[in-house]
Amino acid sequence: MTTAPQASALPRRPARIALNAGLVIFVVLYAAIAFIQPNYLEPGLFMNFLRRAAPLVILACGQLYVILTGGFDLSMGAVATLVVLAASILINGDPETTWAVIGALYVMGIAVGLVNGLVVAFLKVPSIIATLGAMLSVNGLALAWSGGAARGDLPENFRNLGRLVLRDVPFVGTLPLAVIVLLGFVAIAWWGLNGTVYGKRALVVGDNPRAAELAGTPVAATRILAFVVSAVSAVTAGILLGGFSGVSVNAGEGLELQAIAACVIGGAQLLGGRGSVWSAVFGALSLFALFTLLNLLGLPQALRDSIQGAILIAAVGATVWRGRRRA
Amino acid sequence: MTVEPALAMTGIRKAFPGVRALDAVDFECLPGEVHAICGENGAGKSTLMKILGGSYRPDAGEIRLAGRAVHFTHPRQAAEAGIAIIHQELSLLPHRTVAENIFMGREIAKRGMLDKAAMRDRAAGLLARVGADVDPQTLVSSLSIAVQQLVEIAKALLLDARILVMDEPTAALDERDSRTLLNLVRILRGEGVSIVYISHRMPEVTAIADRITVLKDGRRIWTRRTGEAPVGEIVRAMVGRDLKDFYPAPPSSAPGPVLLAVEEGANAYMRDIAFEVRTGEIVGVAGLEDSGKAALAQALVGDAPLTSGTVFLRGQPLALRTPRQATAAGIGYLPGDRKGEGLALRQSVRDNALLALRAIAGLFTRPEHGRLAPDAIDEKLRAMDVRAADFGQEIGTLSGGNQQKAIIARWLAQESDVLVFVEPTRGIDIAAKAAIYETMRRFADLGRGIVVVSSDMPELIGIADRIVVMHRGRMAGTVPRGAQEEDVMHLALGTSGAPEKEESP
Amino acid sequence: MTTDITRITPRAPRLPVSVLLAGLSLGFYIIIALSTGETAQLSPSGILGLFQRMVALGLVAIGQTFVILVGSIDLSVAALISAVAVLASHVMQGDPTMMLPAIVLCLGLCLMVGLINGALVAYGGINPLIATLGTGLVIQGVLAASFGMLQGAVAREFQVLAYGGLLGVPYSLVLLAALSLAAAFVLDRTLFGARIYAVGGNPDGARLAGIRTEQVILSAHVVASLFAGASGLYLAARLQSGTPWIGRDGIYDLESIAVTVIGGTILAGGKGGVAGTLAGVLLFASLDAGFNMLGIDAFLKQVLRGAIVIAAVAVHAVRTKGHVA
Repeated sequence: MTTAPQASALPRRPARIALNAGLVIFVVLYAAIAFIQPNYLEPGLFMNFLRRAAPLVILACGQLYVILTGGFDLSMGAVATLVVLAASILINGDPETTWAVIGALYVMGIAVGLVNGLVVAFLKVPSIIATLGAMLSVNGLALAWSGGAARGDLPENFRNLGRLVLRDVPFVGTLPLAVIVLLGFVAIAWWGLNGTVYGKRALVVGDNPRAAELAGTPVAATRILAFVVSAVSAVTAGILLGGFSGVSVNAGEGLELQAIAACVIGGAQLLGGRGSVWSAVFGALSLFALFTLLNLLGLPQALRDSIQGAILIAAVGATVWRGRRRA
Repeated sequence: MTVEPALAMTGIRKAFPGVRALDAVDFECLPGEVHAICGENGAGKSTLMKILGGSYRPDAGEIRLAGRAVHFTHPRQAAEAGIAIIHQELSLLPHRTVAENIFMGREIAKRGMLDKAAMRDRAAGLLARVGADVDPQTLVSSLSIAVQQLVEIAKALLLDARILVMDEPTAALDERDSRTLLNLVRILRGEGVSIVYISHRMPEVTAIADRITVLKDGRRIWTRRTGEAPVGEIVRAMVGRDLKDFYPAPPSSAPGPVLLAVEEGANAYMRDIAFEVRTGEIVGVAGLEDSGKAALAQALVGDAPLTSGTVFLRGQPLALRTPRQATAAGIGYLPGDRKGEGLALRQSVRDNALLALRAIAGLFTRPEHGRLAPDAIDEKLRAMDVRAADFGQEIGTLSGGNQQKAIIARWLAQESDVLVFVEPTRGIDIAAKAAIYETMRRFADLGRGIVVVSSDMPELIGIADRIVVMHRGRMAGTVPRGAQEEDVMHLALGTSGAPEKEESP
Repeated sequence: MTTDITRITPRAPRLPVSVLLAGLSLGFYIIIALSTGETAQLSPSGILGLFQRMVALGLVAIGQTFVILVGSIDLSVAALISAVAVLASHVMQGDPTMMLPAIVLCLGLCLMVGLINGALVAYGGINPLIATLGTGLVIQGVLAASFGMLQGAVAREFQVLAYGGLLGVPYSLVLLAALSLAAAFVLDRTLFGARIYAVGGNPDGARLAGIRTEQVILSAHVVASLFAGASGLYLAARLQSGTPWIGRDGIYDLESIAVTVIGGTILAGGKGGVAGTLAGVLLFASLDAGFNMLGIDAFLKQVLRGAIVIAAVAVHAVRTKGHVA
């Protein structure tokens, strides 16, 4: 038993961005990018980098909510695809309807999240299976609805969310709209975990749901809300993706795994109990910086996957290693 | 007498980060001897046995089996050397049959092919030997804990072990099964097996052991022949002081009005429960393992709700279907399985103490403000004398006593009226125990109530103002403060008045 | 031991999950065939066709059952299937004399991947989801990047595996049946099988009983990889040449997990078996065939499939006490 001085003497910790593993990796990778392409240090290119990374960062923030509570959400890529296809069908070339359709997209997303959450919390289906089922269904739905091919075009005002760049903004020069969306989403995600009691509940539910329940925590509600947040993030990311690259039937393919990888690289622990918004944000930025770097190095696009896999194993392996050394 | 000891451990040392678990402990066991080890939780018994079983490696010291020095690096080596350990925590496979469990890791096989018939036959023989009337083909999950314990022993017998370690083998057994087990131990001793017997039950120890060794705080206090070690001596050696000042003094004033009451409570595990706790009162609940005492605690906290009957808090009927309702109503639960049910081990001490407050607060409550502020909870933790370098450190790194105090702080912060403790001091060292009893008393003296479910009889007698005894899902009776252990045991065994009478289930 | 209440649940004799599930699947298939008038589907060749739909997924799923039983999981199988299919067609280049070397090489690759997965999980202590997701990504990336250099086609003689048969029974089905029986035998009757259940059911207990749990986990991963390899070889034979995406497009990783769990094997390990898994595969095959007969379009089929995965697992899971994440 350690009978060290009482805790009161210790200073209150400042906001805890300090030395997040993901931040370190991100800085290193971005430095490497800048070494090869020095103009990446210009605000404009950095903003553009953020713009392109925005969907992944947003997805990672949503996925983080689920990971904290001890689960996975494999359905978010499918939801993003659904968003892109549904938007083009529903808007059907009429820019007037854009905002109403965006509302409808969020309703759809929330519905998927609710189903995921309810299935996990009450039917006791492990989330990896439940959200896999949702992934199949949502993907099928998106394809059935669109007839399996990209139909129609998204109007300018919808695509602007992903594409528009504000010029002559003080300090930064250019400011893509997507970056504003990104910052807004991260701020909300941060607030959810740090500005309300939700974040701490989620951590405890992920760490020991039984203890959480016995102390009165609404475990099911906490789980369900996490899946809803995750789905909302998928809708948001989907809207941005539609803006970047237009309508495509595989707009969201594989994003769920990238989002999980991002959280893990940033230091969140799978199966719950550890992690912060910064794990998701810097993990996702690291992953995206890695992709950018590989592009600049002229490595084939395909090798992305390999490097991502290796980094994933290395990041978790390093954590395990440190844990063992400490024990 | 120069019999070569079957087992001789000398100068065993083992340290864990921050704890010296064993300090130069010597222990030996002769062939055909039952050697009991007594000691409080945390005295080092389990560590010593884990070293013997090859789960831990000692920092220093030597183990000799029949004179031959051995070094174990894997439990398998200990097993092959003829050491069988019956662990307190059952290590059975619930979804497999009894026979498959008995042969786990030691299957009868020819060139990799299992000989199932042979295993079934031998399993049947072993089960008969331990007095368990079960078909080897039964799934373990369908057996009671008592029978599972017998299966565990059959597993050890399979090895034809020369040294058998039994760690609290009767903890989950009722009187009849315990007697069968003790007879079994005698038979094995007659066959020349050396038995290391760990138990808290003093009558059992003095009845069965040839020699007794007392451990305390990782050191051996003494080893004596059973005849030279009266129970009082053993307890004094274990505790290191007289028990009188170990428990807080009883309250000077009589308990107040009824705080919590259960009327005609019943569910699948118990019936006819009429139970009350008054303000300022500590009510103990005693009983055998499946007497329903744990179910009573679970019902009071809404975890396994009553299916009929009513619970009143301060005279008002209370809906108690979920733990959340209990928390909101001011009933706090301190489960016996602290790690499994009480704590989020990877969260900080502070987070664990704030668990109930945060659980009940509105979703959009700002954390770190008002009652949720770190300063506010730190104050509660300090008031509970929780010792930690930093309340931001993971609670998993604290000692059991400090963890339990942090859980108490959780409910103090929530301003609970009633605390339900299950095995409040399991795995907690002696100094912290006294502190926890003290806190319980203080809490009750503030006009609140406590229910303590415990299988530690001296603890109940020492701390409770009144002990309710459960037997087969019913309340068998209530004994006042100052009662003797035998009074409680008779009620718990259902033998009061008519000893030896078999009650029909 | 916790102070949990001991309870003896009287066990009503119940049909094994596998029989129930297989019966349901066949019943569904027969009813659809009759109601759509596609009675040809009920002829022996129609039924064999149904069974043949099981081969690719069935082979992977048997391997997946081993790792899930031992308490692990394998997400790398889809990538490995692709790798094997590509490698087999590349090495053979249509040359029948290269069949044996190609098969040996492919199984060698699987052995290696299985050992790496197993080592990362058992000795590295890395969460199996992450470890096998990682190795799967590595394989997938290398494959996609080098596919241009790896084109080829399997030998015509090799395609007999997918299209040939013995007395009207396709060889692929014989292969699936033989490997299923072998796997069931291993799990039920051998030391290795008993160890798998022990390690999956209670890792600490198994360790205390002297079982070298790491070795068992490692071996289970090797088995899973080898079965994925068998599936990859079959797909190469069927498609004549492999592409780097056949595993991913078939979602063999997640579907093999789904059918295993549907078949009653629990994700925590220690309970379940091959029979249930095959029944789960049969369910998927019957649904596929049934949807085809009904003329449901491919995408709607996927929607239903997703819903059925959830429903089928929920049937077992909903009785779980305690929490599931």
